[in-house]
Amino acid sequence: MIPLRSIAAAALALAAVFPAQAQDGKPADSVRELLNLVEQGVARDASDFRSRMETFKAEKDKQEARLSEARRQLRDLESRSEKLESEFQGNEESLAEAEARLDERLGTLRELFGVLQQVAGDARGTFQASMITSQYPERDDFLKQLIEKAGSSSELPEMAELERLWFEMQREMAESAKVVRYPAEVTGPDGNKSETEVVRVGSFNVMKNAAYLDWEADTQQLVELPRQPSGRFLASVDDFVNADSGQVEPLFVDPSRGSILGLLIQTPDLAERIDQGGIVGYVILALGGLALLLALERLVTLNLVNMKVRRQLNSDEPDEGNPLGRIMATYRKYESTDNETLELKLGEAIANETPKLQRFLALLKIIAVVAPLLGLLGTVTGMINTFQVITLFGTGDPKLMAGGISQALVTTVLGLCVAVPTVLMHTLVQGRAKAVTQILQKRSIGIIAEHSEQGHVSAA
Amino acid sequence: MYLLLESIQDVRLFLERGGDVLIPIMLLILGMWILIIERAVYFRFGFPRLAAHLRDRWEARGERQSWRAHQVRKALVTESSMSLFRGLDVIKTLIAICPLLGLLGTVTGMMEVFDVMAFVGNGNVRAMAEGISKATIPTMSGMVGALTGVFFIALLERRAKLQQTHLEDALTFDH
Repeated sequence: MIPLRSIAAAALALAAVFPAQAQDGKPADSVRELLNLVEQGVARDASDFRSRMETFKAEKDKQEARLSEARRQLRDLESRSEKLESEFQGNEESLAEAEARLDERLGTLRELFGVLQQVAGDARGTFQASMITSQYPERDDFLKQLIEKAGSSSELPEMAELERLWFEMQREMAESAKVVRYPAEVTGPDGNKSETEVVRVGSFNVMKNAAYLDWEADTQQLVELPRQPSGRFLASVDDFVNADSGQVEPLFVDPSRGSILGLLIQTPDLAERIDQGGIVGYVILALGGLALLLALERLVTLNLVNMKVRRQLNSDEPDEGNPLGRIMATYRKYESTDNETLELKLGEAIANETPKLQRFLALLKIIAVVAPLLGLLGTVTGMINTFQVITLFGTGDPKLMAGGISQALVTTVLGLCVAVPTVLMHTLVQGRAKAVTQILQKRSIGIIAEHSEQGHVSAA
Repeated sequence: MYLLLESIQDVRLFLERGGDVLIPIMLLILGMWILIIERAVYFRFGFPRLAAHLRDRWEARGERQSWRAHQVRKALVTESSMSLFRGLDVIKTLIAICPLLGLLGTVTGMMEVFDVMAFVGNGNVRAMAEGISKATIPTMSGMVGALTGVFFIALLERRAKLQQTHLEDALTFDH
């Protein structure tokens, strides 16, 4: 019983499973549907293909029509090109003919324009470099146009232009003999431009109030020289520029048309010169300053001492504030002892005083001797620099050697400039010191003796 | 008059050719000669008066042999030598400075030569000539000044020593 029941239960269970499966998958139905779908798809593809074939055929016909159209156009254009080519040939021939006729008719004129071009070019070069252009800047444009015209084959210079060339050349000549005043644009040393009244002397100099100007041919500008010549030259410029017409004023003119004034910028001024001396130069200058200070201190001190000593000479009372007074005090102290002790004590007192008077004298002398030696040192180092430059670059360019040579010479100059006054000051100071020392060393005892003698006489 | 003007013109030209250093050299030589002449005049006229005064002071003393007398005599001699040798050192220094200044002129002249060389190259000898004359003329002037000075300073020193010895001889210890 039990197995039957169990089989029935299993069958029930299976029955419960199968229908469920058939309900979900439906395998037999889907395959059929797929078949239907394929059948329908094949039918649709065939109709598509047919319609595509039809449109393609229509397109092909259209393209063929287009192609024949293009071929026709090509034929048209080719025939037109041939026509134009023959026309071009014909034009060329007539152009050559016309040119030949032009040549024939120009004849010697062509040569004339060549000369004209050359002359105008020369004149333009001259004018560009000339200071007179600052007054007539428009003539450069005119010449440029004229040169282009004379050089081109399509245009001929006109009579008026030829006359103007002649006029400009004549004007350059006439202006170079004149002193004129006119407003012009001047570029200052700081680069600022300003409209200023300038005075031009021929083609030699242009100046404004208290300044020489330079004409820069490259930039066609009037430039104020950044470094002006020394006072007496500038003063003449001032007087000249501010003079009334008809008044005669002397003036320094640069006959090289500005190049000498231009060189002025390149010459170094005092500070630059000193700087060329390098470290050695500054050491020498420092020594010079030291010597000056020492000498001044000595002069003042010695003069004061000298004054005090001279005052002491006239009085019997020893004053401890000066060397002679101190010696006199020593004398007073040991007056009653024997001569030998007295002399020893006095000698000691004098020996105490002299070093104070002669202080710094040796140092001054050393500076006077060392300064030219240091100058020599600078000279030798400068020459070493120069020879190094020569080994590197050869002797071809003196400008390269200039640095070392400047150092060599500047240090020598500085050495001498320090040595000469130091020697003089040393002599002066030494003279003062010597005078006082002589009074102390040789005369003091005599003076004291005389004084005390007089004292004795009056006491007796 | 004309000769004078012409010589002034010559001097001016010379100064111009020699450059600025010639002016200090000229002043130096001028000062040196003023001092030399001053000394010569003093030896001739001024010093005999001082010597006579010192002699009188010495003669006025009662005794001339004690230690004090010796010291006083020494003082008198020193006073004379101080006024005899005053200024001689300055003259000597000026003489020593003369060639130094000449050398200074040489160097500044050479600087000018090298400046010219830097601007126009070393082909232009004529442009360098100015610097060279500025280099050589001061040297020559310094030498000439120093040489004349050396000769006269020697004379002056000899004279001063001689005068001092004469005075020392005159201050006798006893008659």
